[in-house]
Amino acid sequence: MGLFLQTLIDGLLIGGLIIVIGVGFSLCFGVMHIIDFAVGEWVMLGAYTAFWMVRYFGRDPFVYLPVIFFLYMAIGYLIYPLIHRAVSGRRHNPALMGLVFTFGLASLIKGGALTAWGFHVRSVTTWLSGESLPLGFAVVPALRFAGFAFGVLATVAFMLFLKWSKIGVAIRAVAQDRIMAELLGVDTNRVSALVYAMYTGLTGMAGVLIGALFSIHAGMGLRYTTFAFFVVVLAGMGYVPGVIPAGFLLGLLQSLVTVYVSGRYTLLAVFLVLYGTLLARPRGLLGRGW
Amino acid sequence: MGPFWLAPEAFSEGVGNLLVGVKRISQARTSQILGWAMGMGLLLAFPLFVSSFWLRIATEVLMWAGLAQSWNIIGGYTGYLSFGHGAFFGIGAYATAILMVHAGWPFWPTLLVGAILSALCAAAVGFPTLRLRGAYFAIATWAFGEAIRQVATVLEVTGGAFGMQLPPFLNLPFFYEAMLIATVLTYLLAFLLLERSMFGYKLRAIRENEVAAEAAGVDTVATKIEAFILSAIPAAVFGGLYAYLITYIHPDSVLGPAITDLMVVMVLFGGVGTLWGPLVGATAIQLVNRLLWFLRGESTLYLVYAGVAICLVVLFMPDGLLGLVERRQLVLRPKENLRALLRQFKL
Repeated sequence: MGLFLQTLIDGLLIGGLIIVIGVGFSLCFGVMHIIDFAVGEWVMLGAYTAFWMVRYFGRDPFVYLPVIFFLYMAIGYLIYPLIHRAVSGRRHNPALMGLVFTFGLASLIKGGALTAWGFHVRSVTTWLSGESLPLGFAVVPALRFAGFAFGVLATVAFMLFLKWSKIGVAIRAVAQDRIMAELLGVDTNRVSALVYAMYTGLTGMAGVLIGALFSIHAGMGLRYTTFAFFVVVLAGMGYVPGVIPAGFLLGLLQSLVTVYVSGRYTLLAVFLVLYGTLLARPRGLLGRGW
Repeated sequence: MGPFWLAPEAFSEGVGNLLVGVKRISQARTSQILGWAMGMGLLLAFPLFVSSFWLRIATEVLMWAGLAQSWNIIGGYTGYLSFGHGAFFGIGAYATAILMVHAGWPFWPTLLVGAILSALCAAAVGFPTLRLRGAYFAIATWAFGEAIRQVATVLEVTGGAFGMQLPPFLNLPFFYEAMLIATVLTYLLAFLLLERSMFGYKLRAIRENEVAAEAAGVDTVATKIEAFILSAIPAAVFGGLYAYLITYIHPDSVLGPAITDLMVVMVLFGGVGTLWGPLVGATAIQLVNRLLWFLRGESTLYLVYAGVAICLVVLFMPDGLLGLVERRQLVLRPKENLRALLRQFKL
């Protein structure tokens, strides 16, 4: 019973962190109608950036969270025009060209990381590593809790931004109806660039915590790309609030399979549920997908 | 019209489509037929003239040309991107390896089993996702590709991450001829079914405007599933041939991410949705690939090259090499493209 509770808590805590990736990714799809195949690679890059910053400047990786957020925002903002160019050609199906572009980008980042940093597994230590909060019925590693807290805070802040700020309203308008938003004077191109930038920033930041929690290696992106796809399909593509239950579900699934079956089968289990969802409820568990 | 496995008359329609194509070929001019026959004869006699080094390269070029065409059927003609096409290649390779090693089968029937297996997988993946938007299909095929790699890594029968050793058969001319026949058949199939028959028109109608195609009476879902199955079969056959050629396979060599990457970049580079684009792209990319391998050795750098190539082609020549030739624009017009890009950056 203790093990079961511990597994559930671990799963929920990880789910909180995965939600951050899912929220940005889902919004990115809602606004731009493009799936970013590089999502896991941004996680990997965020983790590596934290690692190298700690290596060269010392201090705790958490200090660099805002730096990494703005760094990856800037990178995303600079990459967006390329995506825009890829989708705005006179092709019969421009969105597909965008897909191919992000697919190439993912391959490029992953190959670059593998070439530059090899297959070594690295890790960073934070002041919370090794600490834990005893809860009586279960022990919560402090770092996992910090990741969860970060996830919840970032998601809530992002949601509030979307809900109340003027730019947030514009973003939601573009996600709802692009042409209508354009007619009402929203610069959709700029909004898309901002959404992509915020998504890469959030994902890079999540990468820092993921890197602190688990190990950092160049091939880790695959896992998080899979997770992001899973979360977005379960939530319903482009339906941002659905990401929250889907993220927790993924955390639970991952942690239950790891504990009760084997860590080798987590990705397979994720794929199976993903396939089942596409088969039975393609518009997401809540049926609100795009 | 339903899928052919549900309706025999649809199957006979498919055969009829093929026959129409064959009839058109038989109406071609004698000089044309002679030209093609001579070209084919030269290709068949190729092993007599060259060293085994060049023969090996030619074999690989042929294989990639066929693989690229198999991706082109679903990605180019139908406009649905399969980012897990390498899985079908791997399924073919592992079917051949497992049947030959564990069941002691001879080589040829294993190709058939691989083809049937990957056709079934294509049907299973395509059935739920091809009735949705293209983004779902891209996600599902990508996930399928990764799932197959995971399966091959954890199973006992595939030898896990260590892979398996096939009975060695070191006869390069044999593999060259086999690849040649498989590639020619793939292109012939693509020519007959996609360029010269109703089926090809249906696929292109779906690519250009799916709603209009549906309104015109095309059963889009069934047609797309058929196209996906059709594209999975050659990939599996090449996988089986490749496994027997390299005699030692493991999840990275036949299910690695670079296989799908290369198929995509070859088709894009040559020209998406054209008959000869994949051949042009595969030849160019594979030759460059071997050159790099010769200069730099085996490294993860090829992922970078493939990624950069994909991005550049999408940005600067989305119609591929053939598109440049068709529009008589043999130059890339770098200035104009760069200016357009800078305009974009100003937002």
